[in-house]
Amino acid sequence: MTPASVTGTPVDEQPTPPFTLSAALRLAGSVRERAEQAGDYESAMDAVAGELRAGFAAVSVHGYTLRGHANGTTGDPVLTAVAGAQADPDPVDAAFLRALSERLEPDGIGVFELPLASLDEDIAAAAVVVSILALAGVLPSGDNVCLVVLGRLPLPNTVAHLRPVAAAVRSALAPYLGDATASVRDYLAVVERAARDHASELERLTDTVHQLHAEAGVVDTLHSVGRHLTAQLDISQLVQDATNAATKATGAAFGAFFYNLVDEYGESYTLYTLSGAPREAFERFPMPRNTQVFAPTFDGTGTVRSNDITLDRRFGHNAPYHGMPEGHLPVRSYLAVSAVSPSTGEVLGGFFFGHPAPGQFTPRHEYLAEGIAGYAAIALDNARLFDRERNLATELSRSMLPTVPEIPGLAICTRYLPAATGSKVGGDWFDVIQLRAGRTAFVIGDVVGHGVTAAAVMGQMRTAIRSYALLDLSPGELLRNVSLLAAAMPEPTFVTCFYAVHDPMDGTLVYANAGHLPAVLMRTDGMVEQIGEAMAQPLGVGSEFRQSQTDFPPGTELVLYTDGLVESATRDLSVGIDNFVAAVTMLRNREDVGAACDALIEHLTSGSHDDDIAFIHVRHTDGGDPA
Amino acid sequence: MAETESVSESVSGGAQSGMATTSAGTVALEHRGRTAVLTVAGALDLALAPKLRQLVDRALRQGPELVVVDLTEVDFLASAGMATLVEANRLCRPAVGLHVVAASRRTMRPLELTRLTDELVVFPVLSAALVGR
Repeated sequence: MTPASVTGTPVDEQPTPPFTLSAALRLAGSVRERAEQAGDYESAMDAVAGELRAGFAAVSVHGYTLRGHANGTTGDPVLTAVAGAQADPDPVDAAFLRALSERLEPDGIGVFELPLASLDEDIAAAAVVVSILALAGVLPSGDNVCLVVLGRLPLPNTVAHLRPVAAAVRSALAPYLGDATASVRDYLAVVERAARDHASELERLTDTVHQLHAEAGVVDTLHSVGRHLTAQLDISQLVQDATNAATKATGAAFGAFFYNLVDEYGESYTLYTLSGAPREAFERFPMPRNTQVFAPTFDGTGTVRSNDITLDRRFGHNAPYHGMPEGHLPVRSYLAVSAVSPSTGEVLGGFFFGHPAPGQFTPRHEYLAEGIAGYAAIALDNARLFDRERNLATELSRSMLPTVPEIPGLAICTRYLPAATGSKVGGDWFDVIQLRAGRTAFVIGDVVGHGVTAAAVMGQMRTAIRSYALLDLSPGELLRNVSLLAAAMPEPTFVTCFYAVHDPMDGTLVYANAGHLPAVLMRTDGMVEQIGEAMAQPLGVGSEFRQSQTDFPPGTELVLYTDGLVESATRDLSVGIDNFVAAVTMLRNREDVGAACDALIEHLTSGSHDDDIAFIHVRHTDGGDPA
Repeated sequence: MAETESVSESVSGGAQSGMATTSAGTVALEHRGRTAVLTVAGALDLALAPKLRQLVDRALRQGPELVVVDLTEVDFLASAGMATLVEANRLCRPAVGLHVVAASRRTMRPLELTRLTDELVVFPVLSAALVGR
């Protein structure tokens, strides 16, 4: 708190009192300059008093001179100069001056605070005096001089900073009462000392500013790294980014992050990323083991920071290397931080930083590395949870895949490919249901939505359709019932579905379509025909489902599919369907129909698809070539 | 990964209007008198459909007589988008009319295959949808 704010005086109305070194030096300079121009002693005192009053924003400044006698004594104090408002009566009285004279500096002018009690209490209060500063001492001529600054602000405890002002007063007055050489020399010495102090104070300040800058830099680094990392869901990218950021932030020559993942069989395996070193630099070595040096990091018991790890008592105890293996990048400075899952508390991995020179890592580096490791752990957690959700949807969808029955007279090939990117897994399904009297139902469908929710809806749709199918409902009737079920679900449900029943007795196919893509029929005469286009609205939306019938004699082939196969290459559904119909003829009369189906899917998706794909191909073989 | 929502997915704007984007599409809401016009562009897919749904809710809070969903600039209408159109239509009816503007094959073919043309009131151009006949 500054003195100005204590009294409530607005700072900009008055100069800042010279309680800092630089302000004191400035005031000293102006005191000397004004006094030099004065011409005689009295004018010089006036000038000094005026400068002091202005410089301290004081109530008043009183200057006294006690002329020396030949016998070494001094006379009574004579009021030589007054600056500022005069209180009436003058608060400076004889008793005060006597007290002051006992503190005169014997060699030069001292500067000190006097207790406020030295003044008459009422008079001081009336004059709004809050502090008394005295500059009092002996001039080279032997004459004594006192300047009393009655201040309206309390004095800080840096009154010693005012020594240059006192020395300036002395060297300003001395020339008018004799030889000034000594006072100028003293003044220079005082000013030099003050300047030196000032310089080192500046250096300290500069250091502090540097430190604050560095702290701000740490906060900035952590913030931007954290924001970047936690926005990532791709594990390999995020661990690489974290390793790069932490290696840069710690000033390490190289950094590595070793982390554990669990594969689809539940087995844990370790991967690593590197920064600042090529992969070849580590490729020949086994994964770091749980040695005494690495244990705290892999166990998550604390950060290890060493100025020289080769001198650490934990270093070099383990066969076969007893330290670093031959050819290992040189490490003296060592810093290792664990990445601990915030959700489970398990250690997800460890960051390791090395530098060939000792003593490279500071507590600030440690702090930064821990911060980045913390963000990396959050990001890894997010990515793992995201992966889990995605895999769960895939798992669910896969677990609900039917076992396709062997049906005499039919060669059936089915495919289900979950969305490659994962986020859209869960909507598509197919089913082949063996009904009574040799009949077979073929189902293909697509639930709008993705993830576990869509997979769950799909499971219910599939079961409902299976149940109604086994009750021998006709296709139109079946879809009507399933649509009622879908519409009754708590969330709006939108499911497209093609349902067809083959009856071998009369060689027919009866089908109904709830907003799904038309099916493709390849006739024995080579005609390719789309059936069931735009017959009804999707399940959950429509309530009327008509059905149709077509011939399905031996040699005929039926293809059912989902939009993952038509929307992969083009966003124009009409073009997609045309492409599909054109390509599907490659399945025609193929012996190796499984390979042909794979080739068809590969051809239509160019090997990558970001949506689920379900697909059924049926060939009526009975009466034609046996399958 | 054409439909990731990495860049921006905020629904912003004041009470009278709004804008939502994904990397593949946008929805904008403006009020013309007592008609709320939702202009959709790009891919109306799994990513954009929830944003459209949100803006329909916002539009309805202003108490419009008519909501128009303009699909003229849509180049891909996925089933998720159609599901949202049905949902919005059922949300509006019977108090508020919902008109869809669609003319191109890219939007009409999916609407026809799913027979949503039976349920939705579809106009070929915005001016017709605004007049409403």
